[in-house]
Amino acid sequence: MRIAIIVGLAVLVAVPRVAAQQPPSAHPDFSGIWQAMNSAAWDIQDHQARKGVPAGIGVVEGNEIPYQPSALAKKRENFEKREAADPETKCYLPGVPRLMYMPYPFQIFQAADQITMLFEYVHATRFISTNGSRHPPGHIDWWMGDSRGHWEGNTLVVDVVDFNDETWFDRAGNFHSDALHLVERFTLLDADHLNYEVTVEDPKVFTRPWRMSMILYRHKERNAQLLEYECYGFDNEFHVTPPK
Amino acid sequence: MAKRFPGAVITSLLAVAMISAPAARIAAQGAPPPPKNPPPPGWIDPRHPPKEDSSWRPSLTPDGQPNIAGAWAQASDIITYSIEDPEEERAEHIAISGQRAMVGRPIVDPPDGKIPYQPWAAKYAAFLHREHLSPSRLEYLDPVSRGFQDGVPRINYQGALQIQQFPGTVLITYDYHHSFRVIPLDGRPHIGGAIKLWMGDSRGHWEGNTLVVDVANHNDQTWIQIVGGFHSDAFHVVERWTPASPDHIVYIATIDDANVYSRPWTLRVDFRRQKVEEQWESAVWEGNKTPEIVSGDAKK
Repeated sequence: MRIAIIVGLAVLVAVPRVAAQQPPSAHPDFSGIWQAMNSAAWDIQDHQARKGVPAGIGVVEGNEIPYQPSALAKKRENFEKREAADPETKCYLPGVPRLMYMPYPFQIFQAADQITMLFEYVHATRFISTNGSRHPPGHIDWWMGDSRGHWEGNTLVVDVVDFNDETWFDRAGNFHSDALHLVERFTLLDADHLNYEVTVEDPKVFTRPWRMSMILYRHKERNAQLLEYECYGFDNEFHVTPPK
Repeated sequence: MAKRFPGAVITSLLAVAMISAPAARIAAQGAPPPPKNPPPPGWIDPRHPPKEDSSWRPSLTPDGQPNIAGAWAQASDIITYSIEDPEEERAEHIAISGQRAMVGRPIVDPPDGKIPYQPWAAKYAAFLHREHLSPSRLEYLDPVSRGFQDGVPRINYQGALQIQQFPGTVLITYDYHHSFRVIPLDGRPHIGGAIKLWMGDSRGHWEGNTLVVDVANHNDQTWIQIVGGFHSDAFHVVERWTPASPDHIVYIATIDDANVYSRPWTLRVDFRRQKVEEQWESAVWEGNKTPEIVSGDAKK
């Protein structure tokens, strides 16, 4: 770990976990490449098409998000300023749950004690412990939060806390505070469809918990693989190697 | 403003420190000298590695792969600042920061431990080396210090890594910058040549106990070291990961780029097993101030 001195691996804190390799047969196998097929990344609520934004039926159950009054005003302000204010436009890690429905594929690897999710978008990762461990002592400000999973029958239930307050749910300005608490539920509908539900709780922003649900689809292409969307890699200065 | 974890900030401090590093550069001649500074306990010298018990065989995973799963960190004392002459090139940085001098020189072929640039490329490399002290343009700053991914092989000596093995796939996840590599073992061809990737396109297979990974489709934007180890998009890396004992992996990367190098060259890294720990968030781009600092904006 001596390289840590140089490159800032101070972010790593030792919490032991047991290495394992194979998903236990007792649980459904989520391994594969998945992607949402909706327009929630632009707006999680019902919306008609806007320029560059496909129309979409919302993924919020009941379509209403129970904002506290001041938070609703903030959401409206966010919407008006969204083209510049959306943190996603700065290519930051988009947080959870937004990353789950960005229009890019992600890959799940499943071991007995940990589920690894790898995302094409900004090569983000989620490591979901399923070894019974608890959230670390917090609060920790992480872009992607801290995910701890367990199985309830055939459903993977993931509890996520330790967020910062800098990510949005969508381009439409729906937002949260650092008190965000998610409970995600992943359930296979059949071999190629994963039902994804997420309950959202944030007492600083909402008056009560609310829920989103959607389907994640398996990529069936024989040559499917994750590529790269290095969001900040397009408009920065690049060095140009002179020709020979 | 919420607190942030410090990965990018520390990277930025590195960049600040390196602005004033010296331009000393020893001409390539013969084998490099032994380290001037004391190496760390347990150091594995890439150029003079210990002999391992050749009769040892790794266990197999349920699907029959040699088992190399676990957490690993390089024991070669390599620093990304310079893989050619880490002590001299970083001497002033070390003096300012108080950090320990790292001594690993991983280039085992050619024997002089230097990147075998073609003459024109040696001139450009020397230019980048001069520029890294105080870049006249942002694009002359190390790409990792600008928040981009390391590419292969640099990511392997940038920080620790974890290997998971699944039927048909080896997965490497890196501590630094949440970089990862999915390495299919099913013999599929590389993706089309029009697709260039920061981390390249990896295809693996087992030759006995050695995981051989062919890495192609690199873009031309990553550097092998901070002082400007560049390549073109013809860059091609063949990695050989060989478990040599229960707690030791020997990593040999053969590197070629017919546009830039005069010959293929070889880099060695020795990995030692670590306790498996959770890999916590290593946000880099999100807090990266290096370009602003380097360009002087931060002082305004």
